[in-house]
Amino acid sequence: MTTGGRETAVGPMEPAGGYPFGPAEMMAVALARLIRDGETVFHGIASPLPMVAILLAQRLHAPNCVYLGIAGGVDPRPDTLPVSTVGPELLVGTRSLVTLTDLFDLAARGRLDTAFLSGAQIDVTGRINLSVIGDFARPKVRLPGGAGSAALMPSARRTILWRTKHDRRAFVEHLDFVTAAGNVDRVVTPLCLFCRVHGRLQVESIHPGVSLENLVAATGFGIEVGPETPVTPPPTAQELALLADVDPDGVRRSEFSSSSVGGG
Amino acid sequence: MRDKVTSLAQAVSGVKDGDIVALGGNTLHRGPCAAVHELVRQGRRGLEIVKTAGAYDVDLLCATGVAGAVSAGFVGFETPFGMAPGYRRAVESGTVEAKEHACYTVIAGLRAAIQGVPFMPVAGMLGSHVLAVRGFKTIADPYTGAEVVAAPALIPDVAFIHVQEADAEGNGRIIGTRFEDVLMAKAARRVVITAERIVDGETFEAAPETVAIPGFMVDAVVEAPRGAWPCSCAGLYGYDEEYLAAYVTASRDPADLARFVETHVLVPETSAVSA
Repeated sequence: MTTGGRETAVGPMEPAGGYPFGPAEMMAVALARLIRDGETVFHGIASPLPMVAILLAQRLHAPNCVYLGIAGGVDPRPDTLPVSTVGPELLVGTRSLVTLTDLFDLAARGRLDTAFLSGAQIDVTGRINLSVIGDFARPKVRLPGGAGSAALMPSARRTILWRTKHDRRAFVEHLDFVTAAGNVDRVVTPLCLFCRVHGRLQVESIHPGVSLENLVAATGFGIEVGPETPVTPPPTAQELALLADVDPDGVRRSEFSSSSVGGG
Repeated sequence: MRDKVTSLAQAVSGVKDGDIVALGGNTLHRGPCAAVHELVRQGRRGLEIVKTAGAYDVDLLCATGVAGAVSAGFVGFETPFGMAPGYRRAVESGTVEAKEHACYTVIAGLRAAIQGVPFMPVAGMLGSHVLAVRGFKTIADPYTGAEVVAAPALIPDVAFIHVQEADAEGNGRIIGTRFEDVLMAKAARRVVITAERIVDGETFEAAPETVAIPGFMVDAVVEAPRGAWPCSCAGLYGYDEEYLAAYVTASRDPADLARFVETHVLVPETSAVSA
């Protein structure tokens, strides 16, 4: 585990049903719960957690959500989950194909409900940086780039951000560069769930096992939390059983050990 | 019907230093890697690489000094292998210019090129610093006055597209996702198809709708079995995990990378038959 609040990171725990869960399980379930039945959802490159979450949501409460991926599949039913979320494994079971152009066009005309995106840095307004640390022309760190995010964040009806590292380098007061800004609805991290209210991220709930002190210490912008802050309901036995069924190889954990930053 | 079949070396020799070169595929999948290796072997310099999302292909061209600029939305090896070390080092040291795009502005630029117009309005983008650093302008909708971003036309001098099957004229069949390959083929001044195998074009007549790239738009066809390697090629092979992991490790250090390229790229037999 490499989250900011190292010693207070989620789990492992033994909830009802005997399925242990850690941050990957908590995040996958938290992301899945945000998906609404019937909506059209998209994830891009380098996005294992959203891939797992969408497939899980379809098995739980959102059987009619339309899953569109950058691999080009529409509601794929993969036999095995790829770690590269552009992989042809995500074409298995698809009955039609869409191109990336089709997906951006869909968002541009207001027909994409939810986009999953990430950022190396995320600020209190939910803007993201996936471009550079330091100066743009001669950066200290050249990051991969925002992929689809600059186009999608303002045009998808809502964006759900996720970030597997929650520390003061990821959740910052000032971005080095604004790669994308737009309709952020929620942010899911290993420590908490943020919602955006009046343009600012607020802690909606803190994950079980995470202390308030460590959440505050790991967040580079001001947050208001206290004993009244709700605790994220831990994954239920049903959620964990279906998660294990959807992702038996644990692809949901791959992002925690990669230098890759989630894409779009 | 013109027979456009040629050798890889001959097809790549038409690329001039400083050309704008579009690469098909996406991240770890169906990149035209045989052609990329040949660009490295022929020692091209100062190319501007165009791709929505690149990985090994873009990283290698940056690390070997072939690329001078990269117009892309994303360069990285995704979750399996992480950041792109050669691209990072080249941009951070100033030898390569990162002409950052959103993937959608690459697409919009290609569409402008396809349609023969100087720019393409594109939704979204407002609020992103990419507009300022790239000099992307906004224009007023002449009918309503609303502000919209205008992505400049992106006209590749050459596009390299790897397909599973092509005929001698260049009709190209792509199995699985087409990514931006069809846009690139239509936008570029010159199109080179590399194909896993060259087949008799008559076999396409029963189902011409399965041909992604019309042959009359293609300039050269090269038979390149395993030509996407180390990327995946849908229906035929997956990405080469062991090779890519070794490459990313080597790419972190210029001396290691030079040895790696010497062994795996500069010796044509190795890259053609490896794995």
